[in-house]
Amino acid sequence: MDYDAQLKLQACLDGELSPRRARRLQGRLAGDPEAQALLRELKATTGALAAFDQDLKLPESREFFWSKIEREIRRLPQPEPARAPASLLAGWRRWLTPAGALAAVLLAALLLGRPARAPQIESGLADSGALTYRDFAASATIVWLSYPAEDEFVADELSDTPD
Amino acid sequence: MTGKDHSSADDPALVRAAQRGDMAAFEELVVRHRDKIYARALSMVRNEEEAIDLSQEAWVKGWQRLPQFLGEASFGTWITRIVINLCLDHLRKQKRQRLQSIEAIDEDSGGVERQMPVVTVNPTAGLERAELRQRIDHALGHLSYEHRTVLVLHEFEQMEYKAIAKTMGCSIGTVMSRLFYARRKMAALLAGLRKQDLR
Repeated sequence: MDYDAQLKLQACLDGELSPRRARRLQGRLAGDPEAQALLRELKATTGALAAFDQDLKLPESREFFWSKIEREIRRLPQPEPARAPASLLAGWRRWLTPAGALAAVLLAALLLGRPARAPQIESGLADSGALTYRDFAASATIVWLSYPAEDEFVADELSDTPD
Repeated sequence: MTGKDHSSADDPALVRAAQRGDMAAFEELVVRHRDKIYARALSMVRNEEEAIDLSQEAWVKGWQRLPQFLGEASFGTWITRIVINLCLDHLRKQKRQRLQSIEAIDEDSGGVERQMPVVTVNPTAGLERAELRQRIDHALGHLSYEHRTVLVLHEFEQMEYKAIAKTMGCSIGTVMSRLFYARRKMAALLAGLRKQDLR
């Protein structure tokens, strides 16, 4: 009996063969005493193992075993509570508030606005890199200062060059 | 269901309550299935302390994964799969840390089980259950974890070859040969054959 036939015999015992293949195999091995002996051995082993699990008890009391599990569970990070879906009104309110504020500002600017005067851009000292932006309508003045000034860059670069 | 007596509830009702955060319901599930989960871990790792730790870990993981339990299998089957996977991870880590066992070398050299004499008498007939369990446990200890696991999954969990192959990450052919080897070796060990008799 070759190894392949032995594995097929085992598969037949385990119900892993189709009924047709199982019948064919059984017919072929019916008169083979070696196959019959192997089949008996496999069945006896299976039968013996069936008893292993029965009546096996966890050797710890219910309370002690559970207390360890409970402690570990309580140590786990708590899942974040699910957020309630926002209502339609709340959704509109979120957008309406800033939009309303913007509309009010625009309206105030229209009502209180003075004749517009074009903004000005001035350069102070030519070599300082400073620029001034004035917007009279907004009453705003912004000054750009480039630092270090352009000529200082050149000086720095020169000082790094080897002699 | 919190604060109620859960002992009369069935498993699906307990699972639903536990999924809503009822720990008392989960405790009842632990009480019902703890022996089975421990037995499975013990049969795989063969060390009482490790089996207790692994079964405890399985219960904690079970609690974490409860939202994913959809009831396709029974709760008992589901939690058993968790402990089996934990045991497999544990055994794989152990294997990486030590040399392969003699059994694994036997398998690599190939065909030892083919030369084993067939055990013609039932070696366990007439044994008391405690003695039988002791002999089985001893014999399981002589198998590599791959052979033992295939045997445990097939004989104790009644898993089909295909499911075992998926669980262990191997082919069905490998499952068949490992199972055959494990059974034959168990038969020989239970019959009290010495190692030199097996060659």
